[in-house]
Amino acid sequence: MTAAEHVVVIGFGPVAARLVEELLPRVEAGTLRLTVLGAEPHAAYNRVLVAEVGTGRATAGRISLADAGELTAAGVDVRLGTAVRRVDRSRRLVLLEDGGAVAYDRLVFATGARPVVPTLRGLDFTPHVEPRLPGGVVALRDLDDAGALLPVVRSGGRVVILGGGILGVEAALAVQEQGGQAVLVHHGGHPLSRALDDDAGRLLGSLLCAAGVEVVLRAKAVAVRHGAGFEGLELDDGTVVAGDLLVLSVGVRARGELAEGCGLVVERGIRVDRNLRADTEDRVFAIGDCAAVEGRGPSGLIGPGWTQAAWLAGYLAARPLDAAPPAGGPEPADDGLAPLPPEPAAVLLLKARGIDLSTGGDPTPGPWHEGPERVAVWADPRAGRYCKMVTRDGVLTGFTAIGMPRTAAELVLLYERGTELPADRSTLFRLDDAGAPAAARPAGPGDVLCRCSGATHGEVAAALDAGCATVEEVGSSCRAGTGCGGCKEQIEAMLRAAAPLPA
Amino acid sequence: MPAAGTASHCPYCALQCAMTLTPGGPAAGRTTPDAGPAGALGIEGREFPTNGGALCRKGFSAAELLDHPERITAPLVRGADGDLAPAPWDEVLDLVADRARSIRARHGADAVAVFGSGGLTNEKAYQLGKFARLALGTSRIDYNGRFCMSSAAAAGNRAFGLDRGLPFPLADLGGAGTILMLGSNVADTMPPFVRHLEGARDAGGLIVVDPRRSATARLTAEGGGLHLQPTPGTDLALLLGISHVVAADGFADEAYLDARTQGRDAVARSLAAWWPERVQSVTGVPAALIREAAHRLGAAARAARAGGPRVYVLTGRGVEQHANGTDTTTAAINLALLLGLPGTTAGGYGTLTGQGNGQGGREHGQKSDQLPGYRKITDPAHRAHVAEAWGVDESLIPGPGVPATELLHTLGMPGGARMLFVHGANVAVSAPDAARVVDGLRALDFLVVADFFLSETAAEADVVLPVLQWAEEEGTMTNLEGRVLRRRRAAEPPAGARSELWILAELARRLDAPGRYPVDPREVFAELRRASRGGLADYSGIDYADLDAGAERYWPCPAGAEPAGTPRLFLDRFAHPDGRARLVAVKPGPVPAGDAGGQRGPRRRAPGSGTGARGHVLTLLTGRLLEHYQSGTQTRRVAGLAAAQPEARAELNPATAAACGVSDGDSVALENAQGRIVVRAVLSPDLRPDSVFVPFHFPGTGSANLLTTTATDPHSFMPAFKNSRVTLTPLGAEVAP
Repeated sequence: MTAAEHVVVIGFGPVAARLVEELLPRVEAGTLRLTVLGAEPHAAYNRVLVAEVGTGRATAGRISLADAGELTAAGVDVRLGTAVRRVDRSRRLVLLEDGGAVAYDRLVFATGARPVVPTLRGLDFTPHVEPRLPGGVVALRDLDDAGALLPVVRSGGRVVILGGGILGVEAALAVQEQGGQAVLVHHGGHPLSRALDDDAGRLLGSLLCAAGVEVVLRAKAVAVRHGAGFEGLELDDGTVVAGDLLVLSVGVRARGELAEGCGLVVERGIRVDRNLRADTEDRVFAIGDCAAVEGRGPSGLIGPGWTQAAWLAGYLAARPLDAAPPAGGPEPADDGLAPLPPEPAAVLLLKARGIDLSTGGDPTPGPWHEGPERVAVWADPRAGRYCKMVTRDGVLTGFTAIGMPRTAAELVLLYERGTELPADRSTLFRLDDAGAPAAARPAGPGDVLCRCSGATHGEVAAALDAGCATVEEVGSSCRAGTGCGGCKEQIEAMLRAAAPLPA
Repeated sequence: MPAAGTASHCPYCALQCAMTLTPGGPAAGRTTPDAGPAGALGIEGREFPTNGGALCRKGFSAAELLDHPERITAPLVRGADGDLAPAPWDEVLDLVADRARSIRARHGADAVAVFGSGGLTNEKAYQLGKFARLALGTSRIDYNGRFCMSSAAAAGNRAFGLDRGLPFPLADLGGAGTILMLGSNVADTMPPFVRHLEGARDAGGLIVVDPRRSATARLTAEGGGLHLQPTPGTDLALLLGISHVVAADGFADEAYLDARTQGRDAVARSLAAWWPERVQSVTGVPAALIREAAHRLGAAARAARAGGPRVYVLTGRGVEQHANGTDTTTAAINLALLLGLPGTTAGGYGTLTGQGNGQGGREHGQKSDQLPGYRKITDPAHRAHVAEAWGVDESLIPGPGVPATELLHTLGMPGGARMLFVHGANVAVSAPDAARVVDGLRALDFLVVADFFLSETAAEADVVLPVLQWAEEEGTMTNLEGRVLRRRRAAEPPAGARSELWILAELARRLDAPGRYPVDPREVFAELRRASRGGLADYSGIDYADLDAGAERYWPCPAGAEPAGTPRLFLDRFAHPDGRARLVAVKPGPVPAGDAGGQRGPRRRAPGSGTGARGHVLTLLTGRLLEHYQSGTQTRRVAGLAAAQPEARAELNPATAAACGVSDGDSVALENAQGRIVVRAVLSPDLRPDSVFVPFHFPGTGSANLLTTTATDPHSFMPAFKNSRVTLTPLGAEVAP
């Protein structure tokens, strides 16, 4: 028997954690060796919730996704705070910053993405290194960032957020709701300008203002002003947006330097084929925010990364090295391995307590749009509501729902499943109708009044005619009201109506 | 209430409503909606903590079945002409024993199998399990509770070390301010239960999770609480989302988790991945509603610990009858544990048993892997104890058999059973992939069915043995609370019908079986007490005299213990050796092919829109109507119930119907790889547009289980009844179903 294959994972974020979790049974069974190299001092945590920690809604412990001690006990070689210097593919070695080296049989890049540092005076915006940000400027990407934000929010400080994308809007709302003062600075004409049409964007802007967030639109930032700490963000018109902390939220870029340095193709991410392979020897893989599957840039969402991690675990098990064909060669015909599921179309769901917003696809065509799409809109901005459905052949190609949570939830499902919408679109607009369609038809004598006994309105009326004066008497006469008791109020009402008027 | 009546309980569901049976009593001749031709027995609701004197129309009308014209009153044997014809008992029993003996001799003991029921009394269930093991020598016994309680039982055992449907008296719910009810439609299935929800409704705290706006979900209207309506098959993700918020927003009871549980950290980490917006995109339940439900539960649990109204988490078949039913139930238990509820006076977790004796039926040896007292058939000490109670050598007890679905789906096949005894079940209608089960029944060498009507299963039999109905027999039943109740005789059975205890005794004698087979239920119960002594479900301290004197007896009830019985379990410790409950991290698996949910699928077009005449693909939800019970063998024969609900139907959202070109009352075909049914469409906004609801009480072309899949839960072997995909084809108004 050959020695167990040694898989080395570079990175220990949420996607790597999922891969480790899926591989763990094989580690415990002794059929796989697994080493995880994490640059951060923490085991994986849910990066999606870093803003929750930064604003004091959650503690770091509550967003933890893995426990290094437990994994070590289970046989995984977990190394935290371990940065990688470079990868030597010819010798199959991962060389560490601390001078050590780890040999691998198979290597998985799960290096994630790093925040983009915008070209502003006062910042070091060198693109291919970890951001070196001055004091008072954070990217809200890791727990250290969260740790810098928290005291500012707790003390009711002013937090300037640069970038009105989904993460910026979420951060602004979280800061505001937790007692800080948020200032959202955005270059576009409305927040989420890449995902929302103009009407929805304007409504979101007004909802943010109503929540207390200061919104600065059409703003081009040019410089970061420092004194002892952050002092303000300077715009091209010379105004300065003052604040106690600056949060950069202008996007992320795949961490591909290690891969590039060992000769792999890196464009918008580490280029991998449909089997997540970055090389031609079936030894090197990439998943998550650092991976460009078949050349497509990473989505920046966690869902596809988790799907890739789970799938890759299955692949590694189904195609051990001694059995795997080289990439490009014929695939094994029948090893039961399903292809990597296609990445679902991106849907944005705003994580916020006070504003309910979902959007997906391309919601920009308007109602008079002349393309093949059919567009239905409901707008009541003063009530905080807006909904648009863009369909082609009855299937959503884009949608937005604000302030209509049930409609939003349904549209997300319909969009993700590609299900045809009801021909009458107003069916979907009405899901949040508080006065839901109640059957207004008056009950006839043959209609059942008491579901449990089957007694009808006519039978109860007959019991009243026969002299029954209490619910109990009606019950012993025709059994109405003797089951779950849910119709007693109705019987009481009939009794009151039938009672002789007081003299 | 007539003074001379007999105190007993309803024949149907696990609520076991108390009733008074009065021969020729005042209720007998009364014209009620369901009375039809007056039964010989009057039925009145009787004051009792579970039903408060109430009954539903199923219970009210049950006496109609006693002297029903279709009652089988003599043993039937299939003759050379292929028809069933009456024959004398001696001859029939000789034939059955002879076939059992010869098939065993030719094919081995496991070629003869037994299928029991959660409708049998404790005494009959116990005796049937012993008869299978000792008289037939077979390991192949299982029962229809596998379709009912098995996922909750597996999850309960995993979490608490013990499984009792409700580990507290039902009336405790009356003091609750908040109840989370998952996948249970009590307003239709056990209507008198609804009175126990009144406190929670008054407080606005009834939270119902159901993909259908069921009668129970409607109880949340007008301030009664919240209805969460997830897309089918996503309950587990929804529970993870609620639990995520409970944990993330600081509502977890850390002191309780430290003192009374283990596994919290792993569960907390598993929950970190299920934030509300992610859960929304899986379930279709708005994130705000997930938060509201979680905050409501969290705040209520905190208040309950300080002496406020209690908080309960309850599950039913809707979340349990899935291929991940055990894990979904575990997620519900995890939530209850995070809230610090089980085993405290602040509330708890429970599951609602379905069948009349679903509880007792699974405790005394009908399950393929268990012996009386909830003992394990693989544990040498357990086997030795039961062997002693049975008065036989331990080596005579076979090992574990196979669970129900496997047993039924291998009938007549190589390695499967060639002869089958069916007691109190109608598998031709109630089992998943029913057509395959019927094929199996027809492939058997010999089928014996004990029933009082010619059910669809009995109609396939070689021999039908007419047995007693509830009001004609003595015995005990264990209700959904784990409380043991007396069933009492109030009517004379038809001359040709016999007690199953007598039948088993006669067959055992003919088979020269080891062990004792008394025909008096008291004697059987006395032996059951000895056999269960020291087991998890210990009945040794329960006797008929105490029950007849009105004593409340909840198992475990060890002999001699004071106070007798255990109304509330786990108050001091859970049943694992270390006394701690287990939190077990669970997550939704990959969505299996053909199951609901999942990735953006191929685009579908409505029929009539040009291409793709294949119709709409929907998720099939199966369930119950208020008027019917199980496969309908009984309730379809009650005139008033049959008149109210004469046939199956497909409930559809009006928008779905419009897209499919279906009008209310039209016939539609629903089909998938398992089969095809034809039913009328009933339009209802209570359905999500992605689902169709079909009640499972009906046979023939309307039999919902022709469409259910054979997938089962890996822990409980529960079939995935609730989540089949079907294609709907409109047949127009003219085609009669």
